[in-house]
Amino acid sequence: MDLFEIIFYFFAAIVLVSALVVVLSKNIMYSAFSLLFTFFGVAGLFVLLNADFVGITQIMVYVGGILVLIIFGVMITTKVTGVDIKEGISGKLQYAGAGIITLLTAIFLSLMFINGKWITGSSTDVHATIHQIGTLLMTKYILAFEAAAILLLIAFIGAALIGRRKA
Amino acid sequence: METNFIYSLLGNNLLGYLAVCILPLVFLIVYALVAILGELKIGAFMQDRLGPMRTGPWGTIQPIAEVVKLLQKENITPDAASKFLFNLAPFIIFTAAFAAFAVIPFSPKFVPSGINLGLFYIFAIGSFAVIGIFMGGWASNNKYSLLGAVRSVAQIISYEIPAGMAILSIAALAGTLDMNEIITKQSGWFTNWYIFGGSGSALRILFLPFTFGIFVIYLIASLAETNRTPFDIPEGESEIVAGYHTEYSGMKFAMFFFAEYANMFVVSALLTIMFFGGWNSPFGDFMSGPIWAVVWFLGKSMSFIFLQIWLRWTLPRLRVDQLMYTGWKVLLPISFVCFFAIALLAMLK
Amino acid sequence: MGNYFRNIWLGVWTVLVGMRITINHLVMRKVTNQYPDRYPDLKSLEEAKLVPTNSRNRLFVDKEDCNGCKGCERDCPVNCISVETTRVTPGDTVPLLRSGGKRNLWVTNFTIDMAKCCFCSLCTQACPTSAIVHTSEFEYSEYNRNDLVYQFSPFSPEEAQVKKDMFANYQAEQAAKKAAAAAVAPAPAATQENV
Repeated sequence: MDLFEIIFYFFAAIVLVSALVVVLSKNIMYSAFSLLFTFFGVAGLFVLLNADFVGITQIMVYVGGILVLIIFGVMITTKVTGVDIKEGISGKLQYAGAGIITLLTAIFLSLMFINGKWITGSSTDVHATIHQIGTLLMTKYILAFEAAAILLLIAFIGAALIGRRKA
Repeated sequence: METNFIYSLLGNNLLGYLAVCILPLVFLIVYALVAILGELKIGAFMQDRLGPMRTGPWGTIQPIAEVVKLLQKENITPDAASKFLFNLAPFIIFTAAFAAFAVIPFSPKFVPSGINLGLFYIFAIGSFAVIGIFMGGWASNNKYSLLGAVRSVAQIISYEIPAGMAILSIAALAGTLDMNEIITKQSGWFTNWYIFGGSGSALRILFLPFTFGIFVIYLIASLAETNRTPFDIPEGESEIVAGYHTEYSGMKFAMFFFAEYANMFVVSALLTIMFFGGWNSPFGDFMSGPIWAVVWFLGKSMSFIFLQIWLRWTLPRLRVDQLMYTGWKVLLPISFVCFFAIALLAMLK
Repeated sequence: MGNYFRNIWLGVWTVLVGMRITINHLVMRKVTNQYPDRYPDLKSLEEAKLVPTNSRNRLFVDKEDCNGCKGCERDCPVNCISVETTRVTPGDTVPLLRSGGKRNLWVTNFTIDMAKCCFCSLCTQACPTSAIVHTSEFEYSEYNRNDLVYQFSPFSPEEAQVKKDMFANYQAEQAAKKAAAAAVAPAPAATQENV
């Protein structure tokens, strides 16, 4: 077990444990904060796979943007902390639904895992991924890139519209 | 290019990695003591006072006394606080501040980690501090802490956008995100620094207002991101006690304190790297070399620290609406204009 | 739109003005007195007008000028002054007051408890000879509260006792004389009564 593997298992453990806390914690704030470690671990795994740009983008977008949004949302929504969401017959139904979906996802993922064509072999040391990513975004994946940009623009305009409605 | 003298000294092994990690930490602690003393002394001098005078000659060991005091203090965890998160928050904030040191090139021969995404990395790692601040504020279970945390997060998120535009402009101008490469491209005389438009034709004089403007924008935004005056409403003493670290005491408070000073250095170093040629000597080959580089780099960074302290003792605190006005209605449009102008300059090169 | 840019310009300009002011003060002469460490003596403080001319600090009584009128004692709102006087025996050598007046009373005991003093300055206003004054001395803290009781009598207790005895003797003599004189004149009546 060399250093690389130790680091890999370290990050993998972080991801798994914190993801479990996200799911199992009864306090929704704990879940939100635990998500921080999940994102961090996933970013670490990306970096281990020589995808440093993706790893940092993961931190940038998820920790810096989405997680803050989630926490703000949780805080501003009233009475979320400490509310028991597993009560009554609807709670039981939620259990059932969640169980079915989890089972299906697990089956799907394991099918993918078994049947997927894994690229094995030693990875070449890619030092600078950002140039290639930039070139690809501007050539091969220009349509997806622009579509994402337009989606964001629409979201911006929509947010501005909702924000201004009262006036 | 070998960018780390420690690896050539100790070899590419665990010991080398450890040394590379510890060196910035040692620097950070020494620097923080100097900065605390500077803050006390400069602040006092600007108010025609003398500041601390009794610990050591001219009060020079006052910061050590303060750190020792903080170490001795009782670590209080409030009863109603969420204990785990409360104790975790200072570590996350300090880690986030210290993690940024991983890519700061102190010299061409010493960059802790020479990844080619340095600028982007520093920008991204700052978001951990946001979560840490929020964690501390929420877990304290104190209305002032929570208010301070909400203010802080709102402020940091707002000012991240102009700061991001400034970083983007420099990335466009340099064509890279690698810190050392950005600095190497500014080598030569000081006219090659990016605040003067970088090396190239004399046409760049025309873009001087924009490069200078983007520098001022980043300076202002960095003040806001480090919660320094005039943007210290998250810790506004007169309104919300001490903001998100109201409930912290002893060593945990000291970690918030150190994190603030570490962040100050990080933004100063970024200003130096992005606009003032990093470890380059201003006079071409005169006084350049790996050792001189450290001197130049620290000298430039420390002058920005001085600027921050100077501003702190000059300006009063902004009101929340003024803060948001400055961020969204002044800095953001101007930074867009500057970005487009600088992109044009980058294309003309 | 013009307003917007003027606002920005004003903001930048005022910040620069403020920064110029603070940088000037950075190199200016400092006003801090490092009071107990480096202590300029009182005289130079007074010369430099650092002690206000009408400041009210420790009280001082000119022993040779106090005529023992007890005006200060009566006026003191906190009873920190206590004066004890005794009449001058006729025939005793009495120096004049410093201000030139005639002395009728010996001040046998004059204590001021500076721990009680409220620095109201009423005593100095009451004093007819301006013997009691506030000095500029402000540094007189003590470890023992009793050390703050100051004695302004020109006499030691023994000497004061001598003066008291002297006057008591004189009074006794006078009383004796009076008694003798009385004994001479209304003696018959007395004898009548005795009978």
